[in-house]
Amino acid sequence: MNLAHTGRLADPPGGSERPGLLPGGQAPPMERPPRGETGAYAWLRHNLFSSSFNAGLTLVLVVLFGWVAAVVLRWAVLEANWGVILKNWRVILWGLYPRQEIWRPTASLLLVLLLSVLTWFVWRRPEMRRWRTPILVAWVVSPLVIGLLLRGFELPTLRTISNNIGYYLFRPDLLPAVNAMWRGPTALFLIAAVASTTWVLDSRRSVRALAVAPVVLIGLLNLPSALRATGGVPPALAVLLAAVTGWLVGRSIGRLLSWTEHGRRLVKWLWLASLIACLLVLTHFPVGRPEFDPAQILTSVQPSLWSGILLTLILATVTAVLSFPLGVLLALGRTSRLPVIRASCVAVIEVVRGVPLITILFMAQVMLPMFLPLDLSIDRVLRAIAGMTIFTAAYLAEVIRGGLQAVPREQVEAARALGLSELLVTSLVVLPQALRLVIPAIMGQLVSMFKDTTLVAIIGLLELLGILSSITKQREFLGTVREVYLLAAAFYFVVCYAMSVASRRAEVRLGVGTR
Amino acid sequence: MSLIERIDTGDDIIVCENVKKWFDEFQALRGISLRVRRGEVLVIIGPSGSGKSTFIRTINRLEEHQEGRIVVDGIELSHDVRNIAAVRSEIGMVFQQFNLFPHLTVMQNLTLAPIWVRRWPQAKAEAKAMELLERVGIPEQASKYPGQLSGGQQQRVAIARALAMEPRIMLFDEPTSALDPEMIKEVLDVMQELAHTGITMVVVTHEMGFAREVADRICFFDFGLLVEVGPPEQFFRNPKHERTKLFLSQILSQ
Repeated sequence: MNLAHTGRLADPPGGSERPGLLPGGQAPPMERPPRGETGAYAWLRHNLFSSSFNAGLTLVLVVLFGWVAAVVLRWAVLEANWGVILKNWRVILWGLYPRQEIWRPTASLLLVLLLSVLTWFVWRRPEMRRWRTPILVAWVVSPLVIGLLLRGFELPTLRTISNNIGYYLFRPDLLPAVNAMWRGPTALFLIAAVASTTWVLDSRRSVRALAVAPVVLIGLLNLPSALRATGGVPPALAVLLAAVTGWLVGRSIGRLLSWTEHGRRLVKWLWLASLIACLLVLTHFPVGRPEFDPAQILTSVQPSLWSGILLTLILATVTAVLSFPLGVLLALGRTSRLPVIRASCVAVIEVVRGVPLITILFMAQVMLPMFLPLDLSIDRVLRAIAGMTIFTAAYLAEVIRGGLQAVPREQVEAARALGLSELLVTSLVVLPQALRLVIPAIMGQLVSMFKDTTLVAIIGLLELLGILSSITKQREFLGTVREVYLLAAAFYFVVCYAMSVASRRAEVRLGVGTR
Repeated sequence: MSLIERIDTGDDIIVCENVKKWFDEFQALRGISLRVRRGEVLVIIGPSGSGKSTFIRTINRLEEHQEGRIVVDGIELSHDVRNIAAVRSEIGMVFQQFNLFPHLTVMQNLTLAPIWVRRWPQAKAEAKAMELLERVGIPEQASKYPGQLSGGQQQRVAIARALAMEPRIMLFDEPTSALDPEMIKEVLDVMQELAHTGITMVVVTHEMGFAREVADRICFFDFGLLVEVGPPEQFFRNPKHERTKLFLSQILSQ
C-alpha cells in the first residue's frame, strides 16, 4: 500500500461524493471492497519470491525436495521388495487368529464400520435426532459384543447350574479347591444392593419383605463357607463386608433413582439383571462331573492369539470407549463437593499422570492379579487394556475438568432454578457445553493413545508393530525393514490424520464458536 | 409427591420468617420477614449490595438461608432435596444475564425442563413452548440458537422458558439491567402483560416506572434489612424512613 493511496483515503474528493443517506432515510447501497491482487501469480510473488533472498531459498528447497522425492521413488519402484507385505497381508491384518475363525474379526470390523456409518448418517440429519440415543447405546454395548465374538463364549446349561448349586450348598469344602470363595460374597453383594435399592424406593411392607428374603437366603448359603476356619482372612469377614457394602451402595443408588419418576419401574429390571448375574457368578465354575459341561457357543480363541492390526484396533477402540466415560467420571469426581470422592479422584489422576505408560503396562501385568481372585485369571490383552484405559482416562479427566470449569456458574443456577436435579443439571447442561469446548483436546489425547498402543509390544503382545518386526525375520524377506516400517508409518499416519479431520469437523458441526 | 409435608399458610404463597444469611463473616440478610399473597406483584428496590438479589435467590434455594424459615406454597425449604425440587418446579426465575443454554435451540431451551422434570411428551412440551413464544412475541425464532438473538429477545425467551414449567410464582432478578435502552420496553411490556394474568411475581428492579404502574406493594431493602413495605402510592408519595427518602431522591432525580 503506497502513501499516495492512503492520502486519498483521508481526503475524499469533493463534498458532493460524501456518503450520506438516500432521500427517504434509507441506507445507501454498499460499495465494493477495493480490488486486491489476487490469483496464483500474485500469491507466488507474495509468498515465495518476495525478495531475492526468499527467491533463492525457494529454489534451494525445491531442488532439495525434488532430490528426496527422486531417491524415495527410485527405491520404492526399483529396489523395494513389496512382496513382504503382499504375501503377509493376512498376518498383518489378523495376526495369529485361527484361519477358519477369521469371519469373527471380520464381522467385528464390519460391525464397527456399520456403527460409524450410521453415526455419521444420523448426526448429519437433525430430523433423525431420536435415533441418536440408540446409536450411543449400541456404541457402549459394542465392545462387549465384539469381545464375546472374538473370544468365544460358553453358557452354563441347566444341568451345570443345578450341579454347581448342589456343590455350593452341600459340599462347600470343594469350593476352596477351585478358589471360588469370592463367588458367595459377590452374589451377596449384588443381591443386597438391589434389595436396599428396593427398600429405599418402595415403602410397602410386603415389597420390603420380599426384597430382604433373597438377602437372607444368600446369606444363609454363605454360612457354611463363612464359618470354616482358614489361615488367612476369615471368610466370615468377607461375607459380612459384602452384605454391608452392598446394602450401602444400593441405598445410594435408590436415593439417586428416587429423583426420577420411573425409578420404581427400573427396580424389577435391576432384580432380573442381578439374579442372572448371581446365577452366572455362583454356577459358572468347573466343579462337579465333567459330563456337565457348559454349552459351547463359539469356540474359544484365547486373546494371546489376538495380534496384528486387529489387536491394534481392539486396544485403541476399547481403550477409547472405556476411558472416555471413566475420564468424565473422574473429572466430575474431581470437581465434586464431597471431600472423599474429590480426594480419591485427585489421587487417582495425579498418581496415574505421574507414572510413565510403560510402567503402568508392566504394573498391570504383574500387579492386577494381586487384586483379583486366584481363579479369575485375566488375560494379558485385557490387562494391557486396563492399564491403557486408566492412563488415558486420567489425562482425559484433566482435559474435561478444564471444560467443566469453563462453563459459567450461572448456567448451573439457571438449570437448578428450572427444577432439574443435580444429575440432570450435570448431564443436560454442564457436560454437553464442557465437552464441546474440549473436543480438540480430547481428540488429541485419543490420537496420542492410538500411537501409544505400540508400547504393548514391550510386554510381549504382537500388535501391528510387533507382528511387522516378526515378519522381517522371515527367511525369504530378510532385510525388508524399510518396506515394513514404511507401512507402519503410513498406517498410523492415515488413522491419526483421519481422527484429527473428524475432530475438526465435529467441532464445526457442534458449533463451538456460536455462543 | 405425596411424601412432602404441606403446611397451611392460608392466602400467602410465600412466607419468610426472620431469614438470615451470611457469606463467611458478611451478613447479607439480617432477619427478613415478609409474606407474599397469591397473585400479588411485589417489587423489591434498594441500592446495590442491599441483599435484595440474595433474598429472592433464597426463595428458590439458589442461596441457602442459615436461620429463619421460608415456606413456599405450603412447602418448607429445608435440607430435604425433595422439598427443594418441589419448590423449584413451582417457581420460575429470570436472571439479569438471561442464562439461556447456548448449546440448545430456543425451542430446546423451552422444552428441556418440561420434558425431563415434568415428564411431558415432546409434542405437548413443544406445543406449550410455541404458545409461550407467541405470547412473548417471537415465535419465528424457535429454531435459532440464543447467540443469534438480541438481548431483548433473549430475555423474552428466558421468561418463556421459566413459564414453560407452568410455575405459580415468577422471580425476576433485575431482568432489564443488562439490556440496551431500546430493548428494555419490550421486556417490561411482556412482564406487565404477565402481571395481569394473576401469577405471583417478585421483581427486583431499578425501573421505577414499572414499579409505580404494576406493583401491588413495593419493598425497600438496605443493609440486608427490609426497611419499608407499602403500596406504590404511599411508598413514592410519603415514605416513612429517612433512608427510603434519600434513596428515592437519588434515583428519581436522574
